[in-house]
Amino acid sequence: MSETENMIVLEAVEKVYPGSTAPAVERLDMTIPKGEIVMLIGPSGCGKTTTLKMVNRLIEPTSGRIILDGEDVTDVNGDLLRRKIGYVIQQGGLFPHFSIADNIGVVPKMLGWDKNKIRERADELLHLVGLEPSTYRDRYPRQLSGGQQQRVGVARALAADPPVMLMDEPFGAIDPITRDRLQDEFLEIQRTVGKTICFVTHDLQEAVKLGDRIAVFATGGRLAQYDDPDTVLTHPADDFVSDFVGGGAAVRRLSLLELSRLELHPVETDVAAVGNQNGTPVAEVDGAGRPVSWRHLPDRDAAGTALVTVPLSGTVYDAVDVMLDGSASLVAVVDDEGLPQGVLHWNDLVAGLKTRERER
Amino acid sequence: MNVFQYFAENSTQIINLTIQHAQFVFYCVAIGSIISIAIGLLVSTGEPNPNRFSFDWWATGIREGSLLITAAVLTIPSLALFVLFLPITGLGVTTAIIVLTIYTLYTVLRNTVAGLTAVDRSVLESARGLGYGRVRRLLTIQLPLAWPVILNGIRVTTLISISIAVVASIVQGPGLGKLLLTGITRIGASNAFPQVLIGTVMCLVVAAFFEIIFAIVQRLTIPRGIRV
Amino acid sequence: MTALDIQPGVPTPTEKAGKSSGGGFLGVIRANYDLLVAPIIVVVGLLLTYLYISAQNLDTIEARALEPANVLSQLGQHLLLTLYSTVLVLVIAVPIGIALSRPGARRVQGPVLALGGFAQALPPFGVLLLLGFWEFGIRSAVIGLTLAALLPVLRNTVVGLQQVDQSLIEAARGMGMSSRQTLFSVEIPLAVPVIVAGLRVALVLNVGTATLATYIGAGGLGELVQQALRLNRINLLFVSGAIIAALALLIDWLAGVAERAIVARSG
Repeated sequence: MSETENMIVLEAVEKVYPGSTAPAVERLDMTIPKGEIVMLIGPSGCGKTTTLKMVNRLIEPTSGRIILDGEDVTDVNGDLLRRKIGYVIQQGGLFPHFSIADNIGVVPKMLGWDKNKIRERADELLHLVGLEPSTYRDRYPRQLSGGQQQRVGVARALAADPPVMLMDEPFGAIDPITRDRLQDEFLEIQRTVGKTICFVTHDLQEAVKLGDRIAVFATGGRLAQYDDPDTVLTHPADDFVSDFVGGGAAVRRLSLLELSRLELHPVETDVAAVGNQNGTPVAEVDGAGRPVSWRHLPDRDAAGTALVTVPLSGTVYDAVDVMLDGSASLVAVVDDEGLPQGVLHWNDLVAGLKTRERER
Repeated sequence: MNVFQYFAENSTQIINLTIQHAQFVFYCVAIGSIISIAIGLLVSTGEPNPNRFSFDWWATGIREGSLLITAAVLTIPSLALFVLFLPITGLGVTTAIIVLTIYTLYTVLRNTVAGLTAVDRSVLESARGLGYGRVRRLLTIQLPLAWPVILNGIRVTTLISISIAVVASIVQGPGLGKLLLTGITRIGASNAFPQVLIGTVMCLVVAAFFEIIFAIVQRLTIPRGIRV
Repeated sequence: MTALDIQPGVPTPTEKAGKSSGGGFLGVIRANYDLLVAPIIVVVGLLLTYLYISAQNLDTIEARALEPANVLSQLGQHLLLTLYSTVLVLVIAVPIGIALSRPGARRVQGPVLALGGFAQALPPFGVLLLLGFWEFGIRSAVIGLTLAALLPVLRNTVVGLQQVDQSLIEAARGMGMSSRQTLFSVEIPLAVPVIVAGLRVALVLNVGTATLATYIGAGGLGELVQQALRLNRINLLFVSGAIIAALALLIDWLAGVAERAIVARSG
């Protein structure tokens, strides 16, 4: 990788808090490529938040260098540096005496943007985070729900279009249902803005769902593993990581496996194929070619088995969910038009996962 | 002579003294508040780092020290403090203003410090994360958010000052105290009682006036987002 | 922010929080260093006053006024006025304050608080003088002092009781305590700090107002001041001011120490 493709480089960064001898973060080397989401995770007191705050120098590193987009920022003015880095925290941290639009405009204003431009930008961002500008721009933070405040927090961090965003458990204080929705929206936004994001979480599910890479920190500020989610789940670097990832790893991994990456069994829609000897299931389709019920299943009674479908863009996790929900041991995978693309068996699934593991 | 008769016959003098009283209180509270808020802003910058000697150490020292001393001063009876300043500043308005101003310091200072330090940590942290420097944080985040508390301190100190200001007349200070003193020295005279009564009651009128002013100032100066 | 309107001289809960006391003698000193301020001011102030007066040539009038017997008798009168009025204020204001905290009387609390706040502007000097028209002397002075301190102390009691944790009361009721049992075994013990704080407020106010009792012929240290003003004796003014200030600081300090000790014991 060339130098410019790495947005954030931490070189031998260490933090020792005054009055303590043990480092909070131990000699850390880390490289974050442009446009990726890196999740920092670990037990409390592992130095993940300290690491995050050293990137924008809210916490000054004891030693080491921080390089941002090829520029050494270890000793530049911290306030000016932070205006170029988005920052979102758990409690939102919105200024209660500023309207929503003013909150979003905080950094642009400091950067001396023109008033109209700030207003336009605020509206644009409110729109991006799914809040209707005309309704929300003149409200005050306390008139918003926690989830809405957090959306505004994200909008505020994006305001001056910083290449880098730091997020410190931004969805930590939100109820699970809203959190799930915010995470989906966040991924959606990231697809548009393509920022380099450093994201602290204590929730493995969140790390797996959002991260392009996961950095697992161990107690004592040691970086235990830094890899893509799949590898962290399937090949933990050491006992600490495997303990941390825990027994649920295999299930969590299901949500990483996209159906489009799997070899699926063929499915027939031609009624003439009924009774064939090769064991291909046959589905009855409606006028548009969408499967409605099973006509023939090689090993069981087709009429007694519900036909359930899952989109090809989904993950194995979704397929399992659908099968459990419909009490079906197989599922038809359909494309965007609803046309059948293949079949996934419960048994295949187990075998398939095993196969993929052996491949590595 | 009854109270109403006395009021009718001396309304000009009574109203003048009332206005004088209000002005006297206003000046002292204004000077005292400016001093207190300035000290409060200077010394509420942050908790000192226990391992590095910095400005915060001075700030914390000055803050604790000035709170303790102004609180102690508040327990000294006003007559004593007025009298203690007489040898230095003499009889009259100067002494009255200096002493009353000293009495206004504690409440405003305490509320300023309490208000500034009570600002939500997450708000301060995100301000820092967005690139707010220390001074900008203090003036655009902490001060506006602490303002309701500070303003309330000023209001309370104003009420207390109205009653203390009366004693200033003993050292020939301005205001309604004059009515009280002349009344009591001419006890037995027909208009003595009305004088003292009106002097006392007019203090409440001054207080009501200031309460209205404060209600208006509150509406005008407390940011909409944090108005209760 | 009612919590921040508490009367002068009474530390707010936030001021006391965060002062962690270590163990042993040094820990006690460190936790209570603020209590050292008043004694230092008093000792240094009185010492300076004494040195100043010793260096002056007092004329006969000044010397007679400053005779220990004279000063002590005025001091005695002053303390008596303060004592009587403080006890009266406590006996009247604290029970009313507790009564106002009863569920039935909660609606009256708001108006009482507002009135109490507003009453801070009512000059005790005026109240005292008005009673002088009824009668000159100690009796009306004590009544005047009591009236002047009543509303502030009542207000302080109500605010203090409002701060008693409602969940504790709920817990007590939940365990089956009657309203009466809750009052005596939970609320009043928890309100002890409030009552002590009320005592301190009353003391401070009454020591101050008692200096003015001389204007209605009830004596006290104010007499020294009045004499000095009448005779235009700077030295006398200075000494009388210093003595009164020292007395007030000392009484408030004693109340503060007692408050700290009682609050520490009642947790």
